[in-house]
Amino acid sequence: MIRAYRNPLPQTYRSFRPLPELPLWDKMEARRRLLSFDLEITARCNNDCRHCYINLRADDRSVAGRELAVPEIDRLAGEAVSLGAVWCLVTGGEPLLREDFPEIYVRLKKKGLLVSVFTNACLVRDEHIALFRKYPPRDVEVTVYGATAGTYERVTRKRGSFRAFRRGLDRLLDGGVPVRFKAMAMRSNAAELPRIAAFCRARTKDYFRFDTQLHMRFDGNKTRNAEIRAERLSSARIVALERADADHFRALEKKCGALARPSPSPGGAARRPLLYCGAGMGSGSIGWDGTFRLCSSLWHPDCVFDARRGSLVEAWRDFVPRVRSMRSLSRPLAGECGACTLIDLCLWCPAHAHLETGRLDGKIEAFCRAARARARAVQAEAGSRR
Amino acid sequence: MKKTMDLNAIYVPSDDVVAREIEGELIIVPLTSGVGDMEDELYTLNETGRAIWDGLDGKKPLKDLIAGLASQYAAPADVITKDVTGLMAELLKRRMIVARPPE
Repeated sequence: MIRAYRNPLPQTYRSFRPLPELPLWDKMEARRRLLSFDLEITARCNNDCRHCYINLRADDRSVAGRELAVPEIDRLAGEAVSLGAVWCLVTGGEPLLREDFPEIYVRLKKKGLLVSVFTNACLVRDEHIALFRKYPPRDVEVTVYGATAGTYERVTRKRGSFRAFRRGLDRLLDGGVPVRFKAMAMRSNAAELPRIAAFCRARTKDYFRFDTQLHMRFDGNKTRNAEIRAERLSSARIVALERADADHFRALEKKCGALARPSPSPGGAARRPLLYCGAGMGSGSIGWDGTFRLCSSLWHPDCVFDARRGSLVEAWRDFVPRVRSMRSLSRPLAGECGACTLIDLCLWCPAHAHLETGRLDGKIEAFCRAARARARAVQAEAGSRR
Repeated sequence: MKKTMDLNAIYVPSDDVVAREIEGELIIVPLTSGVGDMEDELYTLNETGRAIWDGLDGKKPLKDLIAGLASQYAAPADVITKDVTGLMAELLKRRMIVARPPE
């Protein structure tokens, strides 16, 4: 058969087209497709941050023994690639704590994935820089807990960690590794947030973001959850920090301009879908112990798939639709949260509802208070402009 | 300076890229630094470009690849030769293909 001929040269050979503009994404968006996934390679961490939702002790051998081994990661990443995955976020715990991190990273890259890494930078060695220079990551996101040793180590509870962080960060920056920054705002470092922001913005052309919403522990540890609650800022303080940061506040205003207005589900409000978000539509999360969830925070037992025993293909094809079809009969979801126009400012989701209240459809009062305070601030700002 | 392609050489995909098929499209992902124009870039080829890429099987020299395409596509042989060598030169410059050393 003689086929139609099209010149294969540069007009179709897209060398300068930005990644988000590739027509491929339109095709993939048309149906549920695993486009990106998080890969927690460990829950262990060299630090012991007060607010952390996942960290376990770096020297916990029993935990280390339950972590996914390299061949398991290789198999799961291969399955993710077969489902169409393009992006992989390697996270933890602290991923660089694993001695086999370079091997894991190279295997992911060799599968044709665009790989990002979340790290606290404390454990960055010259070997990692050589690795990132040879096989560039899409980006490395460094979390910054303080701009001074006192604040930083008040959060990490690890002496010498600030020095290690600065040394590791300098290695990344001097090595030309693409770095972006984030911070978690809490009582222990809130006073220093403007300095943290300035520190970060002076060191990257990419973004700096901060988050005020501290999440509950994935393992439900009550002592640690009490510590996290104690670090949470008041609604007023959250809004003051967000308002003081022009970039952050602009993003909030944008959200406010397009507030979600959930419509009643067919058959009335009685059986609302639990998941409003895109979890399981284009992304998923592989846990350090081989669990697969629709998102990293969704730990309810009915929403966890054992990817050590089953395949990711099976999880994506059968398990994810089952979770996404879950419905709620609860009054808060049907009557209050489900009808609330501030839902985009609240960040309520079933994953956090479960971690906070034990129920996928529970109301989270702290989130609700912060959302209302945010909405008031945005409205006040809009009023003052008028 | 544009490289002249050796029609007797055998070219193969470089180890510096990973070629994947997603939604029926061939995607070439740079693996190592210095491949392509930007680190954060995916490359795609149209159907003709893909036929050329698929022909990089490590067995036939470039001239046979061109002859094979000329028998499949409705285009004059000199146009196909010019286009194929042009694309191969681009891919070679971007380190996406390499000439296989003679055995």
